[in-house]
Amino acid sequence: MELLEVKSLTKSFGKHVAVNDLSFSIEEGRCVALLGANGAGKTTTLEMLASLQKPTNGSISFLSVEKRDYREYIGYLPQYPVFFPWMNAIEYLVLMGELSGLSKSKAVARANELLELLGIADAKKRKIGGYSGGMKQRLGIAQALIHEPKLLMLDEPVSALDPVGRREILELMKLLKETTTILFSTHILHDAEEVCDDVIMIHKGELAVTASLSELRRKHQEDVIIISADENLDAWAGSIENWNIVSKVISTNNKIEIYVKNVAEARNLLLVEITEKKLPITKFTVGQTSLEDLFMEVVGR
Amino acid sequence: MNFEINWALVAPLLVIQAILMIIALFDLTKTEKTNGPKWMWVLIVIFINTLGPILYFIIGKKHS
Amino acid sequence: MKKWFVLHRKEWLEMTRNYKVIWIPLIFVLFGLMQPITSYYMPEILKNASNLPEGSVIEIPMPTSGEVLAQTLGQFNQMGILVLVLAFMGIVSSERKSGMLKAILVKPVRFSSYITAKWMSAVLLSVGAIFLGMLASWYYTVLLIGDYPFMNIVKGTSLYLIWIMFLLTFTVFLSTFLKSSGFVAAFTLLLSILLTLLTSLFEKYMEWSPAQLTNAAASLFISGKLEGPLMLPLITTVILTALILYLAATRKSSL
Ligand SMILES: Nc1ncnc2c1ncn2[C@@H]1O[C@H](COP(=O)(O)OP(=O)(O)OP(=O)(O)O)[C@@H](O)[C@H]1O
Ligand SMILES: [Mg+2]
Repeated sequence: MELLEVKSLTKSFGKHVAVNDLSFSIEEGRCVALLGANGAGKTTTLEMLASLQKPTNGSISFLSVEKRDYREYIGYLPQYPVFFPWMNAIEYLVLMGELSGLSKSKAVARANELLELLGIADAKKRKIGGYSGGMKQRLGIAQALIHEPKLLMLDEPVSALDPVGRREILELMKLLKETTTILFSTHILHDAEEVCDDVIMIHKGELAVTASLSELRRKHQEDVIIISADENLDAWAGSIENWNIVSKVISTNNKIEIYVKNVAEARNLLLVEITEKKLPITKFTVGQTSLEDLFMEVVGR
Repeated sequence: MNFEINWALVAPLLVIQAILMIIALFDLTKTEKTNGPKWMWVLIVIFINTLGPILYFIIGKKHS
Repeated sequence: MKKWFVLHRKEWLEMTRNYKVIWIPLIFVLFGLMQPITSYYMPEILKNASNLPEGSVIEIPMPTSGEVLAQTLGQFNQMGILVLVLAFMGIVSSERKSGMLKAILVKPVRFSSYITAKWMSAVLLSVGAIFLGMLASWYYTVLLIGDYPFMNIVKGTSLYLIWIMFLLTFTVFLSTFLKSSGFVAAFTLLLSILLTLLTSLFEKYMEWSPAQLTNAAASLFISGKLEGPLMLPLITTVILTALILYLAATRKSSL
């Protein structure tokens, strides 16, 4: 079922058009990544979806109803979450829970549950003013989840975190996506590839690509075999270039990247070739190109 | 001064001023950052009676 | 409605944590006590301060209780307003600046609830502080200068509080869209000074002015009866206050 549908969403600040004619939809139960470089318009888009900014143009429908107040169904983590520094985590979460429509007792129970889930339960009685950036990010996610929203929107949830924290939040998102629809923005393709099902790439406020990850992989991903060796193999690399199973060969230093059409077959042929010619290889890797190239293509236009 | 001050009458004033000063000092020990150096606010709160604590509450506290 | 109370409770918690619930009332009580005490000791202070030749007699009439209470009101009208306006100038603007406004409005909360809950907390605290201050002043006046009917205090202070509510509402209103709290305070104080000044200068044309309520309250304190225009300023002030509050609660565009 379609949870959210956006039609030609546009936002301009004076003459500057931050988001231009954006249309996409989000299916219930999916995890969607909103990808774009700095200044692409991710935050502006998400704030419009969270009804924090009024679109200059275009429409947003939630569960097929246009122009409704659907705030009770969404949880939102801003890019730079802020809190009341004089409150402690429990007080803050209970406040946000009650404002989301929970009863006091339900809010307290949820707050404790979430603090436990996010690993900041130890600090729950401390003033938020004294929290570290990572703790604030976690508390920000907790307040977004307090009322079990149908749609969770996270604006760059991991950008401000260290590698360990990043890992933990990505794992948490994998867990959450089992029960909640997630829309999150990032400028790091790798994060998107790891957790999401669908990708929406925007560039300078315009929609560049929208597709499921598997679709993108099928269309844009190639199998590649990477061979490293002790000596320069440029001559040999040249000789395999016109095999009809090979689409492209890139040879740099002592490393050769061979883009192939059929991995299984190519692997066997190459292994035979290597043994026959007694090539001094040190490493033989079979893999796939990442979507990085596609991303760079879109962003670098 | 050669007239009698009825101290029982003036005592409430002094008590209120003392409370204001104590709250301001207490708050100063708890907050990390103030607008301007902290020692300056301590001096202001202690030496300018009534007005010192008020000034601290209104412009001394950093609102983050 | 439940969410309104949640927001309102948050305001009180905040005012407790930053000690506003203590220091604002204490300051009004201090002002309230100071006036009767200075009036009481004034003759002696003057006698000591001036180097008059031995044996000369100075006659300084002791003010009546009503006059002292009116002076307290005058004190509240200057220092008191200054304190209240400075205390509440950032009531909305500071939260918009910090981003807290967005953090709250992303939850299913009406902007009008958010504003009116804040407004109510500021009004209640100010009303409480001024009543306490007047009560303290009345007690000391009765003690030092002479008996005075309590009901007059209640009536006069209530009248005066309508003017204070008008100014507080204006503070909240400006705070919803001005970026700097400093401007909020400056413009509110300007309005209060201007209205008071114009009202005393052009009494004929300013009968409607909210500042008339201060004069009405003062005359009630001094003479025990209401003199001068009352209904007209009362009606305009209430209508203006309601209008400004309505504007404040509906202008969401300034997010
Ligand atoms: N309030 C505003 N007034 C004027 N211009 C704005 C405003 N908000 C955003 N913009 C502009 O709109 C464009 C998109 O901004 P946005 O914050 O949505 O980008 P972003 O994709 O979130 O970038 P980042 O990765 O840096 O967070 C930018 O060029 C920005 O300068
Ligand atoms: Mg952004």
